[in-house]
Amino acid sequence: MNPAPLASGGLLAGAIVATAASLWMLLPNGRESVSTRRLGMLLGAAAMLAFVAAGRRLGGFGEEAVFLVVSLVAVVSAAATIVSRSPVYAAIWFALSLTGVAGVLLVLGAQFLGVATIVVYAGAILVMFLFVLMLAQPAGLAPYDRVSNEPFLAALAGAVLLGVLSLSIGRLSAGVPACCAAPARADAAAAGTADPPPADPPPAALAADPLAENHVARLGAELFGRHLVAVEAAGVLLLVALIGAIAVVSRGEEALAAEADAARAAAGRTAR
Amino acid sequence: MNAASLPLLQNALTVGAILFSLGLVGILTRRNLIVMFLAAEMMLQGISVSLVAWSRYHGDFGGHVLVIFVLTVAACEAAVALVFVLQAFSRTGRLDAAAWQSLREATVGRTIDRELPAIDTVPPRFPTLTPAGVQPATDADDSLEREHV
Repeated sequence: MNPAPLASGGLLAGAIVATAASLWMLLPNGRESVSTRRLGMLLGAAAMLAFVAAGRRLGGFGEEAVFLVVSLVAVVSAAATIVSRSPVYAAIWFALSLTGVAGVLLVLGAQFLGVATIVVYAGAILVMFLFVLMLAQPAGLAPYDRVSNEPFLAALAGAVLLGVLSLSIGRLSAGVPACCAAPARADAAAAGTADPPPADPPPAALAADPLAENHVARLGAELFGRHLVAVEAAGVLLLVALIGAIAVVSRGEEALAAEADAARAAAGRTAR
Repeated sequence: MNAASLPLLQNALTVGAILFSLGLVGILTRRNLIVMFLAAEMMLQGISVSLVAWSRYHGDFGGHVLVIFVLTVAACEAAVALVFVLQAFSRTGRLDAAAWQSLREATVGRTIDRELPAIDTVPPRFPTLTPAGVQPATDADDSLEREHV
């Protein structure tokens, strides 16, 4: 049991370093060398393979395969988002990444959130981004899309953050927190068997999702029961954002009146 | 909830961490304001994945509720931020974060753009057909349309 986490840790470290290196090669640097980008893509693919190999087995081939596919879609298209030269392509890669994230949420049993992510993000927010891009993007690639600020240091920062996070994720143990042990123990007590569950069960299959039955109804009850005040606050926030956006973007009555005067004067001049 | 779902939690947390780190790298390096906002949204996606994973692990709806609020705040943020981006674009004519570098700290050096190579991509080669018939008159609107974005 002991060498396995060690090897997995080494694999994870290699994956993180390869991710950072491939990001550094792929990020726009103004030189656009095709061979560097190919090398970066190869390194990124190797990093993804190492991440897959270092990941824990879920047990149950179907669930594992689905999780693998959707998370790879999410991560690879997320990387493509930040290295795309054209912002329009970046937005479209981001949409693909959102579908991958929605798939991950579905695998995790969050049906409502998976669908809401697609509707809200890919349906509304992303289209707004694309509108602004079409309004504001000049033809062709702008020079500021072909360079980036400090790609090496940023990739290093990302690698350090990823390393710290995956270190702490790997240290998570199966110890049941105090908050969540209660229902299981109560069930066991009700059944008359007070024996604790075995400490390390084989990863034969995932446990059933306790949130699965009546999912949306219970989520709604939770949302509008315990969190009712927060829902009201979120509604007020949406209203304030709407009004604020309109107030910032509108030019005020004086400017509109001046424009109308100018238009009227121009019309009078052409009529005369 | 139990030991059997720990691998799922760890894998999902790893996916969330990767998404968050990629978003961090994007927002640190890219200079296009829109791409910076896409990277910020990507960090929010990583957080959402982690929250839902913890929610699944603990059998509790708290993470789901928090993700719903994350969605709400992200919608507000996108609306307000895009208005500011549009205002910035109408003042400078660029979606460039370095166009506002006069707001930087006094100790931070100035961003200086070096000369870039003239063309960075090979232009796409479309299939050509043999011209036939009379050449039609060109439309006056054609000159106003963009070639590509």
